[in-house]
Amino acid sequence: MPSATLLGQALISGVLAGGMYGLLAMGLSLSWGLLRLVNLSHFALAFLSAYIVYELGTKYGVAPWWSAAMVVPVMFGVGAAQYWLFDRFHVNELASLLITFSFAVIVEAGIQIYWTADYRRFETHYSTLSFKVGPFFVPVLELVLCVVASVLAWGTWMWLRKTYVGKGLRAAAEDADIAAAYGVDHRKLAYLLSGIGAAYAGIAGTFIALIATLAPAQIWAWLGVVFAVVIIGRLGNPLGALLAGMLIGASESLAMAVLSPAWAPVVSFSVLIVILLWDPEWL
Amino acid sequence: MADLLAVTGLRAGYGRAVVLSDVTFRLEAGEAMAVLGRNGVGKTTLIDSIVGVTRRFDGSITLAGRELAPLSPEERAGLGLGWVPQERNIFRSLTVEENLTAVARPGAWTVDRIYGVFPRLKERRGNMGGALSGGEQQMLAIGRALATNPRLLLLDEPTEGLAPIIVEELLSALVRLLRAEGMAALIVEQHAHKILPITRRALILERGRIVHQGASAELLADASLLERFLGVTRR
Ligand SMILES: Nc1ncnc2c1ncn2[C@@H]1O[C@H](COP(=O)(O)OP(=O)(O)OP(=O)(O)O)[C@@H](O)[C@H]1O
Ligand SMILES: [Mg+2]
Repeated sequence: MPSATLLGQALISGVLAGGMYGLLAMGLSLSWGLLRLVNLSHFALAFLSAYIVYELGTKYGVAPWWSAAMVVPVMFGVGAAQYWLFDRFHVNELASLLITFSFAVIVEAGIQIYWTADYRRFETHYSTLSFKVGPFFVPVLELVLCVVASVLAWGTWMWLRKTYVGKGLRAAAEDADIAAAYGVDHRKLAYLLSGIGAAYAGIAGTFIALIATLAPAQIWAWLGVVFAVVIIGRLGNPLGALLAGMLIGASESLAMAVLSPAWAPVVSFSVLIVILLWDPEWL
Repeated sequence: MADLLAVTGLRAGYGRAVVLSDVTFRLEAGEAMAVLGRNGVGKTTLIDSIVGVTRRFDGSITLAGRELAPLSPEERAGLGLGWVPQERNIFRSLTVEENLTAVARPGAWTVDRIYGVFPRLKERRGNMGGALSGGEQQMLAIGRALATNPRLLLLDEPTEGLAPIIVEELLSALVRLLRAEGMAALIVEQHAHKILPITRRALILERGRIVHQGASAELLADASLLERFLGVTRR
């Protein structure tokens, strides 16, 4: 059994790493839950954003926050354009999964063609910065990520609950035809939401560029666990996605510390199975 | 033109099936009209055709002089149709209050004023729509229609399947809406003797056609007509 300090450190690192899961899960959860579109290209958009932030930073010395200020609005546009395509061709839930999977594979190929399959790392003087709280180390970048993810999750949650647009989206997600008969313009709202989801991929990508080592195939590295997080946090619930992300991050990290790294996915996917068996209406 | 709603030569249905034929009637502002008829004669199809969720083959429907035919249900709602569907169709995953505010449009009907008509809704404002009883769902469905600040309410069997005491509660709320607030309404009802006293005029449908149109009071007094088309004997 590892020491209490080690476990505490594992918990902190896990929760902070879970912030990234939550951030990635949020956009996916919004489009799946409220538009019934399973957007696998979300991961590809996040990595494309990461590569662009990397490129701008290493080649032209652009600070990542300025890169983000450019990339995030562009991603919003990409998300809105994706919705246009889905709407134009009446794409259903299953087809959306297959189409966006294909889209992700194409983006992956594009990344590989332009940036090659080599590992890339965006080194900054703050990428390894951390501070100490008692015996524990807290990495600064991951902490910033968690703060950003929390603000986004909370803000999005409130937006869905308190604004006319947010409530209209939830009503239309439940019954688009009825909502329309009460004047809720489902399409206009869907463009907005699809754009927001992709913009979140842009934000996640900015942090990926700073925290992770980039390689084209990494697009798929988080797919499984983020999917589990999306479902555990409940579709369409951004706050749930963040909390589930932190929960899974923490349990993975503890499983790694106590058992071995191979156990990490066992924990999260067991939780997923138990939830789905326990409440079939969870989805 | 003083007509709020004018339906002229309407032929409508679903897919290839024609349900309504040659339906023509008018409704003035502030007027309440009962739509009567046995099961399956096309009462819901008439309401749904005004809302815009059926297939129109022919004829015209105007609201305050504006032709609705080319408009989507969204656009029609924007012109002032307040629909209370037969299935109620409230948003189950939204709270009672969210059901009202999600569709609200500015106007005299605020959430507080709707709570004034249906105090039960206020008590349950934080509950999910799916957790309501049948009667409460019906009140919410009416409240939701009012929240859009409509010019015309379209009520499809508002008392269907409800306990008698709830029916009384709903009807007295309806009377308030029609009399005190001067709301224009088209009300589909099975209980002729309950709805005729609170409406000015009535029409009877039979196999998709209007077979009688006239003052509610006269129809209420005409036992043979009620018997013939509705199979009801006056109590
Ligand atoms: N979605 C639909 N597709 C095809 N036919 C339909 C559809 N809805 C109703 N009909 C048919 O149209 C006819 C009229 O139905 P409608 O629901 O308008 O009757 P109604 O007078 O409202 O009956 P009820 O009193 O039972 O509510 C019926 O013969 C019914 O079978
Ligand atoms: Mg009906």
